[in-house]
Amino acid sequence: MSKPRMGSYKNISIVERRRLREKKYKKHNLANILTHWFNVGMWALLLPTGIAIISSPRLGLSPVWMQELFRNMFGGAANLIKFHYTIGFLWIFVLLFNVLLGFRKYFVPFAISRMLLDKDDIQWLKTKPLQMLGLMKDKTLPPQDAYNAGQKLYMYVVILGTLGIMVSGPVMALKTLFPPIVKQIAQPLHWVSVFAIVAGVIIHVYMGAIFPEEKEAFFSMFGGKVSAWYARAHHEKWYWEKVQEEMDWEEEVAREIESAAGADPQPAPAKSGD
Amino acid sequence: MADKKRYGFVIDISRCIDCRACQVACSLENSVPLNHTRIWIHDQGVQGTFPKLSRTFVPYNCMHCEHPPCIEVCVSGATYKDPNNGLVLVDQEACIGCGFCVEACPYDARYLDEKLGVVDKCNGCIQRVEIGQKPACVATCLGGSRLFGDLNDPASDVSIALKNAKSLFRLDIEGKDIDTDPNIYFINAPQSLTSLVTSDAFKQQGQAVPREPKYTISEEGWKKVLVPAIAAGIGASFLVQATYFTKQLIEGEKEFDE
Amino acid sequence: MPNTLSRRDFLKVGGAALGALTVSRFVPPRVVAAARTAGLLDQNGDGYIPTMCEMCVWRCGVLAKVEEGRVVKLEGNPDHPNSKGKLCARGQSGLMNTYDPDRVLTPLIRVGQRGEGKFRKASWDEALDVVAANMLKIKEQYGAQAMIFSSTHNLSQVQFENLLYAFGSPNYGTQRSLCFNAMVTAFSLTYGIEEPSRDYTSVKYILLTGRNLLEAISTSETSDLMDAVARGAKLVVLDPRFTKTASKATEWLPIRPGTDLAFILAMINVIVTEKLGDCEFTARYAVGCDKLPAHIAFYTPEWAAKKTGIEADTIRRIAREFAAAMSDALAHPGWRTSNFINSFQTERAIATLNAIVGNVLTPGGCLNAENPEASGITLGKPSQPPYPRLSSLRLDGVPWKYPLVPLKLGVFQELRDAVLTGQPYQAHGWFIARQNPVLSLPDRQKTLEAFGKMDFIVTVDIIMNDSAWFSDVVLPEASYLERYDPLLPVSGKVFIRQPVIEPQGEAQSALWIYKQLGERLGLGDFFQYQDEEDYIRQQLAPLGNYSLEELRLHGYVEPPAKEKSQEITFNTPSGKVEVYSETLANAGYPALPTWEEPPSPNADQFYLLTGKVGQHTQMGTQNNQLLHKYEDYPRLWMNPEAADKLGLKDWELVEVTSEVGSVKVPVQVTPAIRADCVYLTPGYGHLSKGLRTAYGDGVSDSVLHVTYVDPVSGGQALSQTFVTVKKA
Repeated sequence: MSKPRMGSYKNISIVERRRLREKKYKKHNLANILTHWFNVGMWALLLPTGIAIISSPRLGLSPVWMQELFRNMFGGAANLIKFHYTIGFLWIFVLLFNVLLGFRKYFVPFAISRMLLDKDDIQWLKTKPLQMLGLMKDKTLPPQDAYNAGQKLYMYVVILGTLGIMVSGPVMALKTLFPPIVKQIAQPLHWVSVFAIVAGVIIHVYMGAIFPEEKEAFFSMFGGKVSAWYARAHHEKWYWEKVQEEMDWEEEVAREIESAAGADPQPAPAKSGD
Repeated sequence: MADKKRYGFVIDISRCIDCRACQVACSLENSVPLNHTRIWIHDQGVQGTFPKLSRTFVPYNCMHCEHPPCIEVCVSGATYKDPNNGLVLVDQEACIGCGFCVEACPYDARYLDEKLGVVDKCNGCIQRVEIGQKPACVATCLGGSRLFGDLNDPASDVSIALKNAKSLFRLDIEGKDIDTDPNIYFINAPQSLTSLVTSDAFKQQGQAVPREPKYTISEEGWKKVLVPAIAAGIGASFLVQATYFTKQLIEGEKEFDE
Repeated sequence: MPNTLSRRDFLKVGGAALGALTVSRFVPPRVVAAARTAGLLDQNGDGYIPTMCEMCVWRCGVLAKVEEGRVVKLEGNPDHPNSKGKLCARGQSGLMNTYDPDRVLTPLIRVGQRGEGKFRKASWDEALDVVAANMLKIKEQYGAQAMIFSSTHNLSQVQFENLLYAFGSPNYGTQRSLCFNAMVTAFSLTYGIEEPSRDYTSVKYILLTGRNLLEAISTSETSDLMDAVARGAKLVVLDPRFTKTASKATEWLPIRPGTDLAFILAMINVIVTEKLGDCEFTARYAVGCDKLPAHIAFYTPEWAAKKTGIEADTIRRIAREFAAAMSDALAHPGWRTSNFINSFQTERAIATLNAIVGNVLTPGGCLNAENPEASGITLGKPSQPPYPRLSSLRLDGVPWKYPLVPLKLGVFQELRDAVLTGQPYQAHGWFIARQNPVLSLPDRQKTLEAFGKMDFIVTVDIIMNDSAWFSDVVLPEASYLERYDPLLPVSGKVFIRQPVIEPQGEAQSALWIYKQLGERLGLGDFFQYQDEEDYIRQQLAPLGNYSLEELRLHGYVEPPAKEKSQEITFNTPSGKVEVYSETLANAGYPALPTWEEPPSPNADQFYLLTGKVGQHTQMGTQNNQLLHKYEDYPRLWMNPEAADKLGLKDWELVEVTSEVGSVKVPVQVTPAIRADCVYLTPGYGHLSKGLRTAYGDGVSDSVLHVTYVDPVSGGQALSQTFVTVKKA
């Protein structure tokens, strides 16, 4: 099968567009979705309480009204911290549980298919930031996978940051196990990890929940599916992979029917290159 | 507010005999571990040449400062100044035992309890004061050197002692960013004393009280490098999304609508 | 909160259901139950129980804070005249003696060699049987006098004495001859009272001769002294060391050791020759003052200046200032002042000095020589048969060698020579109660040799002290927070020491131990009390209608005061202050205070001074972890001048050698001591490995001390030992 030209959705007919919009591809499985929203919920609890805990006036990181508000809400610093600890440990436990349980079935394939950077991604990374600043308007972006290169990079930040939080948090919470110097180092680690993730989350949330082009992406986090149209527009490479998969499947089915009809079995066609 | 308390100590230096009953009483009252102490008696050592000698003892503990450097560095808000009585206290459940405050206290009045993994210090025996008793050290002071009470109340022991004091000094630290304004008032000291306690000789012995607040490398680096970096990072990412969003508002949504 | 079911109560209800299985665990302990009945503890077993301190012999009133059967804090009892609401470091730390991880919790019987520290646990029955059998064996073979009894000042001592007198031994060793024999003998002879009490309410001039009141702490007196100093009273301290007391003094005079007597005699000389004294008082209440001017004429300030190293003018000035304060002047009797064999004469001189300024027994006077019986409190005691007649000599030489030493004081340090020589007869057994002669007696090696002569040694103590370490049987006593002791009258009130917690392990009170032992020795008739409470009820009986419960609730009862007689009488043969003592004259001693030249060290020797620190009591508290926490490491004090000559630096290890022994100890170079003296804090250098905190901490001065006995009072001259010091 000849490979279709990529990045050419503008010339698609309206009928085809409609068909594409109705056709759905599965982008996220249930495990992903649940883990994602669990993560969202935990972060919604951990981030504000965490910020409210840091009270050092010398650092001046969190606004005093926020410290006061949360301390009053929880009945004192100790309760606030205990709440943060409890939710934090719950978060760590569930997340680790999910990742470890689905490590081979979900996490490794996910990491391989969606996190490795290829040439296109690097090209994208070279172009996109400049375009966002209004430069290099004429240059077309290379087609992207299920995640674009920015998302892929951010995934690394998230994974490393999460590990940083998971290590530094318990160091501070289990205060008798570690010497003070470790607890002193754990603090900045905790916060750098959090803020690295938060810096990305601002864009992630904006793109996912506010940016109109990405509406589908937002709803896909509930249903798990995106339309073929969306896939083709935003993650063209992944779209064509999906199409290829379908075509392979059709051929397979056709072969099976043929062989069932008693015809000479033909060798399966060699898989096309990328 | 007239009825707001400001608890503090007045220590009559002329009356301290270095018997250390206060220290033992404190250890028991507050279950202080055997390798730590909450209160100290600073021994000036024998001064002068035989037989013209003098020796002065300066009992002290947490100064319950008006502007405590320890609170400045406490990340978890465990250390706080009680708004009702002015005592500097530690909420040990909130404390993570990182020890920033131990370094920051110019009076070395704090210690880390290794067993509990938290910081501990003089709490003015608030558990006793609340039920009308004197702090353990004050109650048992044989020489009558230690006094405790409400500095705002003119009829309290401390206010009366201050009024009758022959001399008065505090171990105040005033600097660029710091003015501890301590609430221990030392009275009736020999004239030479203020300078002695902070003298270079004592500093060399590592016994200087008070000393400059210390900030650990992690705390210092944290403040000077990481905090700005984080602020920059978050600022930048916000800027990116804001630019994008504004651009979109101006240029209008493209090519996605039918 | 009555009638509300708290969470705690709820848990208890839940616990009760469980308790059906293990009933005994839920029955409240005896002490708690009794304290609850008396209204001292609340439903949870929390509260304050009044009792009495035993960390030294001052016996402060204590309020013990108890939480769920544990003592958590001790407070001074504001109702007690000796504590007035305060406790010293030792008093505060008292509960750590009780909770000492090294407590002996069961009777122990030795299995290894003596001093090896190998013991096996035994039941009380077995241990008491062993002790009784050994004591009876010795009595049978060698007579009751072959059994030595020794014990240190304590409230149960009366029953200890009961045991030894009933047993029939005259050999009784107490700490007294190592401590206050000089003072007690001198004041008994002069005022007719062992120890006059001091009154600081109006004092204006205080002279302390070797009484380090701010380090050798007596809670109320230490507080009173500080109040007086703060009020502006003059404080003159005679001490070769610049002690903490000296640091608070108006004037510190680093007197040559052993010459306090010369200083006081010169003061008397000035006051008498210049007629500055209270002639009216001396004329009415003293005998021998007329003989004084002629006797004292030789002791001029110029003479004393040569002896003491203090300028004559200074002595003269102090004498005049002292006399000017009249009855508001106080020359403190101290315990033993200079610790030389002339201490007795020094104490006599102090008694005379006070008398001639008229501060004794006068209204507002600073020395109260009132007879203790004058308070009118006479406690009851169980009835008992008369003691067997003592026919044998006392091994300590009283009275055949020391005619004036009161029998109950004795000359403890002399006992060992008798044991080692077997003269006048051989002793075979030693019963030690709450005492540590291995460390307290001078010349430790000699004590251990004497131990070696013993067939049987038994020690009663709460911890494995050094003497217990070398004993055959160790009987665990209940600590002072765990037991009753006989009552103690103080200033018109009768105070009780009562248990505030259950005894740790199988520890038992001294009253119980002596009674059990008495019964096994066939001396049951001498111990006619059911138990401790019964004993105290019998003591209370003559005081009136007081119940034990009432006593326990308040910690004391206050019987109506007896009408005080206006007549001032002294309990002496003449009924007056005996500046001139007929008794002394008859015994062949100087009848008036007289100079005795103390020995002095050779050029290469130092006076070895002893003293006290505020954090320890003698040799009994070094294992207390809280006191250990706040103690100073005990080093050998040396003047920089002397240290320079020997080429010694601070903290350098030195070897200190006396006639009888030698120790290695780091030196503390300090100007706070005369150049001809060194000082070592006593009580350290324990031998017992059963004391894990104290073992290996410091060295013992008892290794160095040579035995010197004051012939009049029998007191040990602890500062009369001279030592050489060299780099170790």
